[in-house]
Amino acid sequence: MILLQSNMTLGLKEQIQGISADIAWLAPEITLVITAVLLLIYDLIFKENKSVGLAAIAFAGMTFTLALLIAGWGNIEEDRILMDGMIRLDGVAIYLKAFFSIGGLIGLVMMLRSKQKEKFFKSSETLLLFFGLVLGTFLMTMVINFLMVYVAIELVSICSYVLTGLFKSKRNSEAAMKYLLFGAVASAVMIYGMSWLYGFTGTLDFTSTAFAEGISQVAVFPLSLALIMTIGGFVFKLGAFPFHIWSPDVYEASPTPIVAIFSSLPKLAALAILFRFVASLDLALVDWQLWLGIIAIASMTVGNFSALWQKDVKRMLAYSSIAHAGFLLVGVLAFSESGETSALFYGSIYLLMNFGAFFLVQLFEDNEGKTSFDAFKGMGSKVPYLGVLLLIVMISLTGLPPMAGFNAKLYIFSSLWETWQIEGSSILIWAFIFGLFNTVVSLFFYLKIPYYMFFKGSEEAVSSVVGNLTDKILGTILVAPLLLLFFKSDWLLNVLNSINFAL
Amino acid sequence: MIENLLTYIIFTPLLGALVVLFLPKSKTSSFKWVALVALGVTLVLSVLAVTSFDASVEGLTNSEDQLQLVDKAEWFSVQLGSLGKFSVDYFVGVDGLNLSLLLLAAIVLFIGAISSFGIKQKQKGYFGLYLLLSTSVLGCFVALDFFLFYLFFEFMLLPMYFLIGIWGGPRREYAAIKFFLYTLVGSILILIVMIGLYNSVYDPVKTGMEAGVIENVSEASPDMISSIQFAVQSGQMESENIVKSFNMISMADDANYLPDSFLGKNSYGEIFGQSARWMAFLALLIGFAIKLPVFPFHTWLPDAHVEAPTAVSVVLAGILLKIGGYGIIRTAFSFFPDSAFHYTWLIGFFGLFSILYGAMNALAQKDLKRLIAYSSVSHMGFVLLGLAAMTVEGVTGAIYQMFSHGLISSMLFLLVGVLYDRTHDRGIENYGGLASKMPKFTILITIAFFASLGLPGFSGFIAELMVFIGAFKSSTVIGAIPYWMPVVATLGLVLGAGYYLWTLQRMFFGKFWVKDKAWRETLVDLNAREYVMLVPLVILIIWFGIYPATLLNLINNSVEGFTQLLILSVE
Repeated sequence: MILLQSNMTLGLKEQIQGISADIAWLAPEITLVITAVLLLIYDLIFKENKSVGLAAIAFAGMTFTLALLIAGWGNIEEDRILMDGMIRLDGVAIYLKAFFSIGGLIGLVMMLRSKQKEKFFKSSETLLLFFGLVLGTFLMTMVINFLMVYVAIELVSICSYVLTGLFKSKRNSEAAMKYLLFGAVASAVMIYGMSWLYGFTGTLDFTSTAFAEGISQVAVFPLSLALIMTIGGFVFKLGAFPFHIWSPDVYEASPTPIVAIFSSLPKLAALAILFRFVASLDLALVDWQLWLGIIAIASMTVGNFSALWQKDVKRMLAYSSIAHAGFLLVGVLAFSESGETSALFYGSIYLLMNFGAFFLVQLFEDNEGKTSFDAFKGMGSKVPYLGVLLLIVMISLTGLPPMAGFNAKLYIFSSLWETWQIEGSSILIWAFIFGLFNTVVSLFFYLKIPYYMFFKGSEEAVSSVVGNLTDKILGTILVAPLLLLFFKSDWLLNVLNSINFAL
Repeated sequence: MIENLLTYIIFTPLLGALVVLFLPKSKTSSFKWVALVALGVTLVLSVLAVTSFDASVEGLTNSEDQLQLVDKAEWFSVQLGSLGKFSVDYFVGVDGLNLSLLLLAAIVLFIGAISSFGIKQKQKGYFGLYLLLSTSVLGCFVALDFFLFYLFFEFMLLPMYFLIGIWGGPRREYAAIKFFLYTLVGSILILIVMIGLYNSVYDPVKTGMEAGVIENVSEASPDMISSIQFAVQSGQMESENIVKSFNMISMADDANYLPDSFLGKNSYGEIFGQSARWMAFLALLIGFAIKLPVFPFHTWLPDAHVEAPTAVSVVLAGILLKIGGYGIIRTAFSFFPDSAFHYTWLIGFFGLFSILYGAMNALAQKDLKRLIAYSSVSHMGFVLLGLAAMTVEGVTGAIYQMFSHGLISSMLFLLVGVLYDRTHDRGIENYGGLASKMPKFTILITIAFFASLGLPGFSGFIAELMVFIGAFKSSTVIGAIPYWMPVVATLGLVLGAGYYLWTLQRMFFGKFWVKDKAWRETLVDLNAREYVMLVPLVILIIWFGIYPATLLNLINNSVEGFTQLLILSVE
C-alpha cells in the first residue's frame, strides 16, 4: 500500500537511496538492536558465569545509546521526516529518547540491586526483551504513520507480555495472560479504527494534508467512532481509564525493575503519539478535547480512589500511575505550546519520581518480589535516611512543595488554565478542578508508606538490614533532582524551551 | 541595623535543624539546646526588626514603597511556551500587617521550645521537625511572593503532620491525617487562585527591563512604573516583553492586571456563571478560613489540639491559626477588595456564627484542652467580624486579636500541659479544689482565663473592644455589616465568661478532690521551667492590655493604608 502510494512521487531507486541515507539518523536505535544481538551471541558462546558479561554488555549498550543521543543533541531544533515518511525525528523525540535511555539505565541498575538479581542475568532472555521494549518506546516517540504506530506499539506490547510472565510463577502467568488478552483486544480495536481512517482518507500518514482533507469530508459519527477506536489503543499503552484494568495485576506480579519501566517509558511514548495524532485533528471537526477530558478526569479519579484501598505497595503505585496518566493527559488537553512543554516537564519529573519510588520500594520487598505495607513497619527509625528519601518521593508524587512534582503540576494546570481562558470550553475547567482536588485524595495513600515507616512500630525484631551504602547513594542520586528541580525548575524548562515544537 | 535581617530570621531555625541533623543521635540532651539557641537568636532578631521598624511610613498597602526590611532577589524566571515569561522572586518584607505576627511567631516558637524540654523520646526527630516548622511559619508571615508564600504555607503541614502523628496522644494518627487533609483542601483552593492570578498579573519593573525601557531595578521610579503600566494597559507593550509575576504586593494593585486578563478589575471572566473575581475571592477566603478555622471548617482543630503534644498545640493555636487570618488580609481582601465588600455580610455572619458556635461548644466540653480549642474557634470569629467591618478599628481589632489570642492561647495550652504532665488526664470533672493544692498554678490559670474572656486590663479586652467599635461603626461609615451583628456577638463574651468561670469553679474552687488517689502525690505546683515559659507571657498579656499603643502605633499606618485600599475599591 505504502509503496504504491509513494511510487507516484518517487521511483523505487530514489526511495531506497533515501532510506539508506536516513539510516545514520537511527544510530541510537541500531545500537539497541546490536546490543540485543550481542547479548544473544554472548549467551550462546559462554556457558558458565554469564551474568557479569551480560550485565556489562547491557550497560555498555545503554550508555552508548545515551551518549549517541547526547551527541545528537545539536539537532534538537531541527525536524526530519525519515524512512520515506514513516517516522519523524524532531526535538521531542530526541528529548524523550534521551530520557528513556536514562530510564533504561536506571532499570538496569535496579535489576542489579534486586534480590532476584540472578534471575535477570542468568541468561540473555530478560535483557533481550528489555532492549526490545526500549527500542519499541524509542520508535513510538517518532512514528507518524499508522503502520509504524502499530509496529512500534506491538513491539513494546509483546516484549511486555513476555516480561510479565517470564519468572513463571502462578501469579506471573495469570498477570501475563490478562495483559496479553487485554492488549490483544486493545490492539485489535486500534487497528480496526485505523483501517477505517485509511478507508476514509487513503493515506496512512496522519500528518499529511491528504489525511486532514480526507477526514474533513467524513460524517461526524463514523469519524468519531474510528478516532475513538484508534485513540483507545494509545490510551491502553498510556494506562489510562478505561483501559487501565490490566495494570494493577501486572504491576503486582512483575518484578519491580520491570514494573518501573512499564509504568514510565511506554506511558510517555504513548503520550508522544497522542500529541502527534490529535495535532492532526481539527477541533471544529470532532470534539476530541471532550473525550480526552473525560478520560483524564476519570483516570485521575478512578486511579486515586482505587489506590486508597490497596494493601500491596506495587498495586498502590499502579493505581497512582493510572492517576498520573490522567495528569499527563491534561497537557494534551491544554493543546498549546505551553501545554506540550509542561506535559514534557511533567513526564520527565514523573519518570524520575517513579523510578525513585520503585527503586526505594524494591529495597523493602521480600525474596519473591512481593511488597506489603507491613514490610515498612517501624523502618523509619531503623533506616531513617531511606525513610526520608521515600518521604520526599511520595510528597513529590502528591505534588506538594518543595518537590518538583509541585512545579510539574503547577505548570501543567497553568497551561490548562490558559487554554480554558482562550476557549472557554467547560470540560477544561472541570478537568482543572478535578485534577487539583485529586491531590487531596492522593495525599492520603501516598502518605501510607511514611505512615507505616514512622508511625507504626514493628512488633517483631526485624533482623534483615535494608539497603546498604550503595543503595543510599543511588537513592540520593534519584531523589536529589526532585528537590533541585523545585528550586531551579528553569534548568529543565530552558532545555525544553530549546525544543522546536511543531505540532 | 543588620542587612538581610528577615532572611536571618527565617533561616536561623533551618540552620538549627541542620545542626540537629548532623549531631550524633547519642547526644540526646543537646538537641533541645540547639533548638532553644536557634529560636532565641530568632527572637532577638525579631525584636530587633520590630525596633528598627519605622512606624511613620505611610502608604497604601499595595505599594512596595511602604514595605520595610525588604529582601528581594530573583529566584527563577522561566518562559513557558505561549504562557509567556513569568518570574518568581525571593521577596520578603514587613509592614504593619505582618510585623506584629512576626513578633508573635518568634515569641511563641521560643516558648514552645522551652515547653518541648519535656519531650523524652526521639528527641532528634522532634527538634529537627520543630525547627523546620519554625522556619516555614516565620517565612510564611514575611513572604511577599505568592510562590514563596505558598511554599512556606504548604511546607509547614509536613512537620506538623509528623509532630502530631509521632509524639501525639492516643488518637494521634487520625488527628494528624485529618489536619493534613483539611488544610490541604484549603491549599488547593489557594493554588487554583494562585494559578489564575499569576496569569493575570505582570511585574511592571521586570516588563520595563525586558522591553529595554529601564536598565536595572534601581532606575524604576514611580513615574517610570506608571508609564510602563500605562503602556501595558493601553496595549502598546509588546506581548513578548510582558513578564508575569507572583508578587503579592503587585497583585493588590489594579494597574498591574493585564488589560484583558481573567481576574482583572474590569474582568469579563466568569466561572459557573459568576464573576471570576468573586469566585477567586471566595476560594481564597475558604482556603484560609479552614486554617483560621471558621465554622463549618473547624472540625479538624479540636482533634488536632487534643492529640498534639503541648508545644505543638501551643504553636498550632498561637501561630498557625493566625496564618489563616493573615492570609485573608494579605491576599483575599487585598487582591479583591471589591469582592470582599460584596461578601462582607457573609463573612461577618460566619464570623458571628463561629463566635457563638465555638463558645457554646466550649461550654459543653468535658476535656479541658478541647474546651480551649473551641474557645479558639470562638475568638477567631472576632478576627473575621473585625475584617468584615472594613473599618480601621475593625481591621486593627482583628490584627490585635490575632496577636493577643496568640499569647493567651499559648499560655492556656501550656497550663493544660502542666496539668497533663502531672496526671495524664485532662477531664474537667476529674478534678476539684485544685487551688488549695496548687495555688500558684491556680493564680496563673485564673489570669489566663480572665484574659481570654476579655477582662479589661488584658490584651484580649483591647482587641475585642476595637472589633466591636469597628463593627458598630461599619454600617454608618461604609455599610459593610449591619448593626445587629456586633450586638449579637456580645453574647459570645457572655458565653465566654460562662464557660471559663464555670470551669474555674468546678476544677479549682471548693474542697480538694481528684479522681485518682495517686494524683495527690503527683500534683505539685509549678517548677522553674514552667515559670520561665509562663511568666513572660503574663507580663506580655498585661502589658499589651494596659499599654496597647506599643503595638497600635506600629501597625496603625499600614492598617490605614489597607482600609483606604478597601474603601477606594468601593467608591
